[in-house]
Amino acid sequence: MGRKQVIFIALLIAILVLLPVVVKKDNIINLALLVLLYICLASSWNILGGYTGQTNLGHAAFFGLGALSTRFLWMSGWSLLPSVLAGGLLAVAFALLIGIPAFRLRGVYFAIGTLALAQILYITVGNVFSDISSLRPQDLATYQLVPRYYFFLVLALLITGTTYLLVNSKLGLGMMAVREEEEAAESLGVSALKHKLLALSISAFFAGLSGGAFAYYHVGYYPRFPFSPEWTFDSMMMVYIGGAGTIIGPIIGALFFVVVRELLALKLVELHLIVFGILFILVVLFLPGGFVEAWKKMQAAFARRSKERGVKVSFQTTDD
Amino acid sequence: MHFLKVERLCKSFGGLMAIHNLDFEIEEGEIVGLIGPNGSGKTTTLNLITGFLKPDSGTITFRGEDITGLPRCRACQKGIARTFQLTKSFLNFTALQNVMVGRVYGREPTGNLRVAAEESRASLQRVGLLDKAEALAKDLTLMERKRLELARALAAKPRLLLLDELMAGLNPGEAEEAMQLIKQIRDSGITILVVEHIVKAILGLSDRIIVLDYGEKIAEGLPEEIVHNPRVIEVYLGKAHA
Ligand SMILES: Nc1ncnc2c1ncn2[C@@H]1O[C@H](COP(=O)(O)OP(=O)(O)OP(=O)(O)O)[C@@H](O)[C@H]1O
Ligand SMILES: [Mg+2]
Repeated sequence: MGRKQVIFIALLIAILVLLPVVVKKDNIINLALLVLLYICLASSWNILGGYTGQTNLGHAAFFGLGALSTRFLWMSGWSLLPSVLAGGLLAVAFALLIGIPAFRLRGVYFAIGTLALAQILYITVGNVFSDISSLRPQDLATYQLVPRYYFFLVLALLITGTTYLLVNSKLGLGMMAVREEEEAAESLGVSALKHKLLALSISAFFAGLSGGAFAYYHVGYYPRFPFSPEWTFDSMMMVYIGGAGTIIGPIIGALFFVVVRELLALKLVELHLIVFGILFILVVLFLPGGFVEAWKKMQAAFARRSKERGVKVSFQTTDD
Repeated sequence: MHFLKVERLCKSFGGLMAIHNLDFEIEEGEIVGLIGPNGSGKTTTLNLITGFLKPDSGTITFRGEDITGLPRCRACQKGIARTFQLTKSFLNFTALQNVMVGRVYGREPTGNLRVAAEESRASLQRVGLLDKAEALAKDLTLMERKRLELARALAAKPRLLLLDELMAGLNPGEAEEAMQLIKQIRDSGITILVVEHIVKAILGLSDRIIVLDYGEKIAEGLPEEIVHNPRVIEVYLGKAHA
């Protein structure tokens, strides 16, 4: 990381930390919280989908399991942090359980397989826990948005920071090698299965923690709601729109997603879904690196142009 | 004890016998050539040795250890590295990152990426690709990618190196360079099995040659013996010339 980047990141974090102090409006804080929630989900999806090249369409299952178990433990008297941690670990356990058979499937079959498993869980949870889950009266009486906001902020920083360390380590190199060319990676001693399972577990752990944070945040929802496939597809779209396999991509994607959805704000007709769907297809077809790639290309083009100009100038000076 | 010993190896795809009762040995420090017409089973043999395919029967012993049917990532960890006939580069990686995968994993795994990068540069230099270290693999020419694969395999510190048609498509000058490079690699202590179509290149390079036809070994010997072997001549030139 360059000096400029460090300063930029420090500034960004400072803004996020100070936001609830400066802006006292709940609706703004809530919106910022949603951005953070989506950063958590998209970044965790990115670890397996973006960096390891395995399109997991069952991400919502991890989010849902984290939410389900955290809500249960927390409401039955556990303190918050152990409840959330348990939610993350449950998601990892489930990931390992499905990971070994699922990774026997490749490419589109892996995607379909994970989607099917998550849908089964979604329907089952809907049938078993059909009553709405509401916070207890004593929690409602003391409910505050700001600590929830900070909870998500810490989680987003944790996930982003861990991803940064991971992708700059040996294991990250192995994961990306598996994404680029699995057979070549294995011919050089990289165990593809081990790296996929590792990426899946980390991805699931963070999604589980995010689900835990959701259980802490949301006042009342049907237990199956966090298992809904839209969490998966939203995360995936954010990652691709922002830039898959980059640190900043999911962050940009999440910010863009929430802001545009709010601007469209026609939730009744779910217009934003159509907009994002089309945008997603366009990005996949024409801009495989997402916004991050587009930005890099623009910079490169700009650098070329100013260089050409520089050449002209030097010609003029020699003419003189 | 042989360095590598392949015994009664069989592999079929559906009804097709790709490898049939194949026996051969390689001794430490040799360059062994593996030749044969299209579809004779050369690549399949390499795939069986490296665990990319599981044999139907037979055994493969490397330095006294049975390695038959090990998971494919284990071969490299034990010291057998390979290149691919159709290059398989990590396209969105730089050349240096490509090589680093071999160094960081490979036979002597390390978590120290800085040291790995230094040593990977040395591998790139060895194949004459150091000036492309920061170029993306997808921007390299096919010939450069072939050298990249060699650098990557070397970075994995193999004891045995399997080269699958590394010289295909090179002009005579480039092929000569490649032959010198392969000899240097052997002289640095790495045993080599080369698969090549170009008979001329393999004759100049190999200490010993094995000839396959329809998955069976039809001849084995010194290069001068091979060129005079009637069965080899028959396979390569047709019956009329035998
Ligand atoms: N994975 C596979 N599935 C089915 N058939 C295969 C497979 N791999 C190889 N074969 C067949 O096995 C036979 C041997 O193939 P192989 O690739 O080993 O030949 P080769 O000697 O390397 O040929 P070439 O000189 O063209 O590279 C061929 O008939 C080929 O079509
Ligand atoms: Mg071949």
